[in-house]
Amino acid sequence: MRGGSLPPALLSAALGLALAYAPPRARYAGVLVLWIGAPLAALIGLAPHWEEAVFLACWAGVILAAVSVHVPRGLRARAAIVLALIVAGLAGAVTATAGSGSALLLALPWVLVTIPAAWLIAHGRGIAVKVVSSWLIAIALLSAALPLSPTPGYEPDHLE
Amino acid sequence: MRRDPCQFGGAIGLALALAVLPQAAQAHSAESLAGGFMAGFAHPLSGPDHLLAMVSVGLWGAFLGRPLIAALPVIFPAVMALGALLAMLGVPQPPIELGVALSVLVLGAAIAAAWRAPVWLACAIVAFFAVFHGFAHGTEIPSLADPIAYSTGFMLATGSLHLAGIGLGTINTLRGGTVITRAIGTVIALAGLYFLGLALLQ
Repeated sequence: MRGGSLPPALLSAALGLALAYAPPRARYAGVLVLWIGAPLAALIGLAPHWEEAVFLACWAGVILAAVSVHVPRGLRARAAIVLALIVAGLAGAVTATAGSGSALLLALPWVLVTIPAAWLIAHGRGIAVKVVSSWLIAIALLSAALPLSPTPGYEPDHLE
Repeated sequence: MRRDPCQFGGAIGLALALAVLPQAAQAHSAESLAGGFMAGFAHPLSGPDHLLAMVSVGLWGAFLGRPLIAALPVIFPAVMALGALLAMLGVPQPPIELGVALSVLVLGAAIAAAWRAPVWLACAIVAFFAVFHGFAHGTEIPSLADPIAYSTGFMLATGSLHLAGIGLGTINTLRGGTVITRAIGTVIALAGLYFLGLALLQ
């Protein structure tokens, strides 16, 4: 299995870290965009054959959001909103293909990691946020590579 | 200039916050199977060679100060993921146990010798060894029941060990702390020597 709340939670957390570098107003707007946009996007029906593409886009989204913490002087307001829209769309899509409403409900609050992250940045400890974002990049890289394996664990095997 | 590693207390807090992340995924039945988040989180903690290598990365970074205090823990997981990717693609496996044992020995020796390596060289050394660690785990991840949860747990544990190493590096700021740090490095290097002996005997 690879659905559930973990993929949208990782997207939300990565967006939260990225928003921590954005201006405060854009930060709050980004959170709202995610919280409104993701459930709406989850309502869109997606055919099962889209699953691989959606998951690949999901991990690309995690990497995009996590990498954006390295943008010099942080994300500008407009870029932060665009990123939040992308993440909201991906979180909704990944939920529509392999998740559930309750899974999304558990995942979306992880964007609030932006609060401690912004506090760390304000106190000159932004390096910590960059270190944590590198973990998210590594997780997304590993997850994106799984379909390349001949025996990805989420596929049913001969015992099933 | 020596940088106060205490700054990373916040990072530990954030790491712990993220470590709770998989609570959401635990709602899934597959989480109870081997290969879920907890299995991934426990994995780096269960092997003393991996554990010491991860702690050494953080400790050496703390010893070297900026920018390596942040660069080494950022580089290691990214390159480790690439190593895992190579393993998944079926690239011929390097001598993993030898590489992991050498990583403990070299990183421990670097701390013991208080070696202030140039930035590029420290990054290259850590990246080189990260490939072996990635290879070691990349072969395990694909066939697990919940590989994404496992990868998440694994990466969070790895990062937490780096942060533990950075936290241990706070000793360095105390009076006589360098001696203690170097002594810890010596113990790690000796352990690395032991692991190397085991790897060569296999």
